[in-house]
Amino acid sequence: MTEPRPDYLPEAIREKLIHDPRVAEQDLRVEVQAHRVMLGGNVASPQLKQRITEVAKELLPDYEVVNETTVVPAAEPDDEEPVS
Amino acid sequence: MIRIAAVGDLHYGEGSKEILRPGLQHLQDRADLLLLAGDLTRCGGPDEVKILADELRGLPVPVVAVLGNHDYHADREDEVRRVLEDAQVRVLEGEAVTIDIDGARVGIAGTKGFGGGFRGAHGSDFGEPEMKAFVGHTKMLSDRLERALTDLDADLRIALLHYSPIEATLEGERLEIYAFLGSYLLAEAVDNAGADLVLHGHAHHGVEKGRTPAGIPVRNVAQPVIRHAYNIYTLDPDRQALAAAAGGIS
Ligand SMILES: [Fe+2]
Ligand SMILES: [Fe+2]
Repeated sequence: MTEPRPDYLPEAIREKLIHDPRVAEQDLRVEVQAHRVMLGGNVASPQLKQRITEVAKELLPDYEVVNETTVVPAAEPDDEEPVS
Repeated sequence: MIRIAAVGDLHYGEGSKEILRPGLQHLQDRADLLLLAGDLTRCGGPDEVKILADELRGLPVPVVAVLGNHDYHADREDEVRRVLEDAQVRVLEGEAVTIDIDGARVGIAGTKGFGGGFRGAHGSDFGEPEMKAFVGHTKMLSDRLERALTDLDADLRIALLHYSPIEATLEGERLEIYAFLGSYLLAEAVDNAGADLVLHGHAHHGVEKGRTPAGIPVRNVAQPVIRHAYNIYTLDPDRQALAAAAGGIS
């Protein structure tokens, strides 16, 4: 694959993260500034967050990876909503 | 009161073990039914859904699910479905099920649904075959949903979807992708048939609450939206029976 132009690099990374079976996340935010890539969005577990960092480092070995994704909590709900 | 627990977009895959299980510990005391609104896996692998199925197996309340787009990614949706069914999870696609809860018949009609957009900005099955296939898929699933809901003989009727039937629960998503997040045809199907509650997932950046054009409550239960193991909605089967007898949808 030809290296994408800088303007297209974040989208190329976003696509790769969607198609990498270790990640397969469709709504990660990817920004690239100089030699730093910043990742945002929601993830289901700390393990997945860690894996995303690893995959991003594989994709961009010369870049610093700043993973700012949020691990979504999954505790029991506090209350219930009466709908009818 | 019938207590419905619901969540979608669990996106189980390798490494997901025990994400949900701790939150399900007291499910039996809190809800009568657990509904799963699709995207149960990361890539649609039977091995991925097996991790979830093992956490759901033996739950003390009935579990009903629809699949989501992620569950179709490996072209192995039939196997995904079978793994869930082996764990006593009922999977719906254009089908319905009625469950008796304390003498009340709770009917659930389910479909994955699909995209297209919303009123005034919906794609048409016009032009290229790819476009016809895209919108045609939504039409077919919406028609089946309407039929399944209409045929339900129940005190309470719930439509369980993955894609969104309305725009209101997509707020926070980028407008450019609304057409990939849902279709008004799903809302029209529900409004034509009547229902007490519509549940969907898929819109991870959306909001929880909305209504169909006819006023039926819609809840987006995508896990990143509700940020709990599930949310609980209570419905009164007697009140709904009265409203139905009066010929109105409340
Ligand atoms: Fe999802
Ligand atoms: Fe989805």
